Amino acid sequence: MKIENIKKEFPIFDEKIQNNDLVYLDSANSSQKPKVVADRINEFYTKQFSNVGRSVHYLAVAATNLYENTRSSVQKYINAKDKNEIVFTKGATEALNLVANILGQNYLKEGDEILITELEHHSNYVPWHFLRKSKNIKINFAEMNEDGEVTLEEIEKKITPKTKVVAITHLSNVTGAILPVKEITDLAHSKGILVVIDGCQGAPHLKLDMQYLDCDFYAISCHKMYGPTGLGVLYGKKKWLEELPPYQGGGGMIKEVKKDSISYGELPNKYEAGTMATAQVIAFDESIKFMESIGIENIMRHEADLVEYGQELLQKNNSVKLIGSPKNKGGVLSFTLEGIHPHDIATILDEDGIAIRAGHHCCQILHDKLNIPASARASVGIYNTKDDLDKLNDSINNCKKIFNLK
Amino acid sequence: MNLKELYQEIILEHGKNPRNLGKTDDFNKDAKGNNPLCGDNVHVYLKLNGQKIVEDISFEGSGCAISMASASIMTDLIKGKNENEAKEIVEDFLGMIKENPELKSEYLQDDEKTKLMCLSGVKQYPMRVKCATLSWHTLVSALENKKEEVKTEN
Repeated sequence: MKIENIKKEFPIFDEKIQNNDLVYLDSANSSQKPKVVADRINEFYTKQFSNVGRSVHYLAVAATNLYENTRSSVQKYINAKDKNEIVFTKGATEALNLVANILGQNYLKEGDEILITELEHHSNYVPWHFLRKSKNIKINFAEMNEDGEVTLEEIEKKITPKTKVVAITHLSNVTGAILPVKEITDLAHSKGILVVIDGCQGAPHLKLDMQYLDCDFYAISCHKMYGPTGLGVLYGKKKWLEELPPYQGGGGMIKEVKKDSISYGELPNKYEAGTMATAQVIAFDESIKFMESIGIENIMRHEADLVEYGQELLQKNNSVKLIGSPKNKGGVLSFTLEGIHPHDIATILDEDGIAIRAGHHCCQILHDKLNIPASARASVGIYNTKDDLDKLNDSINNCKKIFNLK
Repeated sequence: MNLKELYQEIILEHGKNPRNLGKTDDFNKDAKGNNPLCGDNVHVYLKLNGQKIVEDISFEGSGCAISMASASIMTDLIKGKNENEAKEIVEDFLGMIKENPELKSEYLQDDEKTKLMCLSGVKQYPMRVKCATLSWHTLVSALENKKEEVKTEN
């Protein structure tokens, strides 16, 4: 599939949004959905629906096979060693909560330390914060430098003999910095420290190879990968998922239940209690096929071109202040305009049909560090073009005009 | 009213030079408000005299143009009103921002109504209504001596 024609695969771009053609620059928040994904959900509900993993009737068996097919597809897509290392969750947030919870239950001890970074999304901070309360765990922060990066050296500096887990983002949703996750993982492992990666922004935009990366856990958000909402993936090394206790209890995750004893099911059922997001899992297979049909290398090249173009454009624009200038940058352009609050920017851009995000992007620590309450963020996906970024720039100029800025 | 008119009127009038910005000397009532969506923060200070008339009112805060302009306009026209009048004006304003086509309170002069109607443009931007109403909810909280910070969740 040619990247130039990709927009056609997304029906939303045929719609007029408040009489405008849609310029969608909010993919770091959530991506739009190709027709194949939306159709697959409809097809499953109208022609194939059944719950999975329970009944023995035809539809149940067929649905179970479809569900497990996606697990295999994800395994291949991220090059995990074993299919059972793929756990479906209701989102990346739940995936990270799951990891923090099970490590808290049966791995971490009072006084242990967790190292995160100032770049982290709240979902890779708050679940660890719970352990501060319940287990007296200490959280340390690796600092962001002026370019909006967290370096390997900074991580090394902040590791102490008590550090048991390093939990880091793969790609910052604000500065766009791509962290040296492989090097960080190798360093942490050399000191016997576990590595948890928040891959929400990494998975849609970067090549993933779990066996090469060797991290212990990796969280994925499916709705940012052109897939359905309500679905996430937790990759966990088999050794950990086998050793650590379950997260939630309920149907599907048990082996045997007696009045005086309960034994738990094998992987991956052990971590998939209750009826799962069946339709979403099955439709996510289409997202993966869709991304594979374009090729991650092509996606990465296309988005790198867009970011470079957008960065140059905004750098030339007076009064625009870009947040972060990391050497290794993903498809995120966060900025402020002097004298204009980001929400005023977003409202004015919206009037021109341009969808961006304004706020703290669930990264208050990072915004506090920059001493700003909020920022505006344009983020790209495979369907964006240079024309979209030109329109962004024009609309920013419109903002400046309204606010009498030069 | 279109977006440009909304922003231009507000900004010309209050956005760049908010009235009553600061902390009233000898205030005897105050409350804080926070709008998590935009990160708008406002702290309203009141000085009520023995007859429950607002002798002085001011605010401190930071946020988007809509929230700052709204706080500025509010403090301007609440000054000199008594507590009950102030509460009625708040209710009138919130009613207008929500659904009413116009302001009804007899405690508002025509020119004051015109000023407030500048903010009616935010009706078209439901996500931004909270920005316009934050300082008003905070004012009520101050008048009622509530201790908790106002959150614009509704």
